[in-house]
Amino acid sequence: MVQASSVEIRKVNKFYGPFQALKDIDLSVPPGKVTCLIGPSGSGKSTLLRCINFLEEYDSGEVRIDGQLIGYEAPGGRRMRARKLREMRRSIGMVFQQFNLWPHMTAQENVAEGLIRVRGLPRAEAADRAVEALRKVGLGDKMANHPARLSGGQQQRVAIARAIAMEPRLMLFDEPTSALDPELVGEVLNVMKTLAGEGMTMVVVTHEMGFAAHVADQVAFMEAGELVAVDAPARILHQPEDPRIQGFLRTYHERNAF
Amino acid sequence: MEWSIFQQYGPMLLRGFAITIFCWLLGTILGMVLGLLIALAQRYGVKPVRWLLQTYIEIIRGTPFLVQLFVLYYGGPLIGLRLDALPAGLLGLTIYGSPYFAEIFRSAFRAVPHGQIEAARAIGMAEPSIIRRILLPLGLVSALPALVNFSIILTKETVILSIITVPELMYQVQRMSTETFRYLEANLVLALFFWGLVELISRAGRRLETRITKHLIERT
Repeated sequence: MVQASSVEIRKVNKFYGPFQALKDIDLSVPPGKVTCLIGPSGSGKSTLLRCINFLEEYDSGEVRIDGQLIGYEAPGGRRMRARKLREMRRSIGMVFQQFNLWPHMTAQENVAEGLIRVRGLPRAEAADRAVEALRKVGLGDKMANHPARLSGGQQQRVAIARAIAMEPRLMLFDEPTSALDPELVGEVLNVMKTLAGEGMTMVVVTHEMGFAAHVADQVAFMEAGELVAVDAPARILHQPEDPRIQGFLRTYHERNAF
Repeated sequence: MEWSIFQQYGPMLLRGFAITIFCWLLGTILGMVLGLLIALAQRYGVKPVRWLLQTYIEIIRGTPFLVQLFVLYYGGPLIGLRLDALPAGLLGLTIYGSPYFAEIFRSAFRAVPHGQIEAARAIGMAEPSIIRRILLPLGLVSALPALVNFSIILTKETVILSIITVPELMYQVQRMSTETFRYLEANLVLALFFWGLVELISRAGRRLETRITKHLIERT
């Protein structure tokens, strides 16, 4: 079992100029649980996710990891020191829609990089741990490949290995399967399921309703910068009360029916 | 055509060519380093620094190399900068090339996908590591063709150094011409030397490009 973090989001607001991307968001992510963020594109799901590791700066409110505020020294206060922010990010893994592997490094080097530069491990030990992480995502035989020689699904699994090698206590997934060919989605979701089974706290922005239904402990629905509802997957996906959720799911089912 | 004079002037021309190559190589390397530092300072520096550097770029790019060299060599002593011809020429080449190199690096850095920088930030990498391990290697790859191209342009700018009496190839060719009146032969040899040098650089550049992009290109 991994050590798992909790996330507390309180009254978070985010503006892009006059446009309000996040409106008074409240969300609790309990340790060891999987939370899926769903909703139409442009609803603020990714923005909210990126506020959790402060890749996106929220303008007001609080985001706390294990009770510790991220990004600011105090609520509404000065920006946190870069060093402190880096320290907090070490225990937060992130997986991106576009994988964002470093193309000039092999799979193994991609995974080892953070261990060497951030954790300060000796090269040999970092290399060993990288192999271990790659085996875990089923890519022990691809460690010498550069990203250009890997399929999208394999690249995303390397990206997951890169994150979990750092032994995070929280994993953020930003539409991890949206850039993949349909036949490659399964291999990535399977790795994520394994991770969830080990008790990792996970926040997942996704359009994979099947994953949300079967793996998530709670599902949050967002629309137009608002968090409309948070509840058990079955209650959101099967008996939604809010007409906005009903409308979203109707469109989803229509598009996936044939 | 009269080629026998090269028996006499050959060694002198070769020495001049060696100095040309020396000036080009050192001027290019120093200009590239200065350009890289400018590009980094523009990316990470505070506003006044960025503004100052942009002004420097505009001024150097907006004036002829010949004028810059005159100002440096003849105007320099007025402010206590007394340089011999060769160091003055090298400094001039470095300054002249730096804004072009800076612009090449600036746009190359912008071509590095932001997501790859974010991925490094997300695992807690510090900015100096990100520059050294991600931004520079990937930036250099996309900058390489333009770097080679501008280095080639710089080979031919070295002839201007003859005006402040740097004894490079052009200087020797002019000397030979005035002494023998063999303008055509002397300048043909000059052209031949430059053509060979440029050909060599562009071949080396292409080979380097193939080598460093080997792993970056998708092969299916």
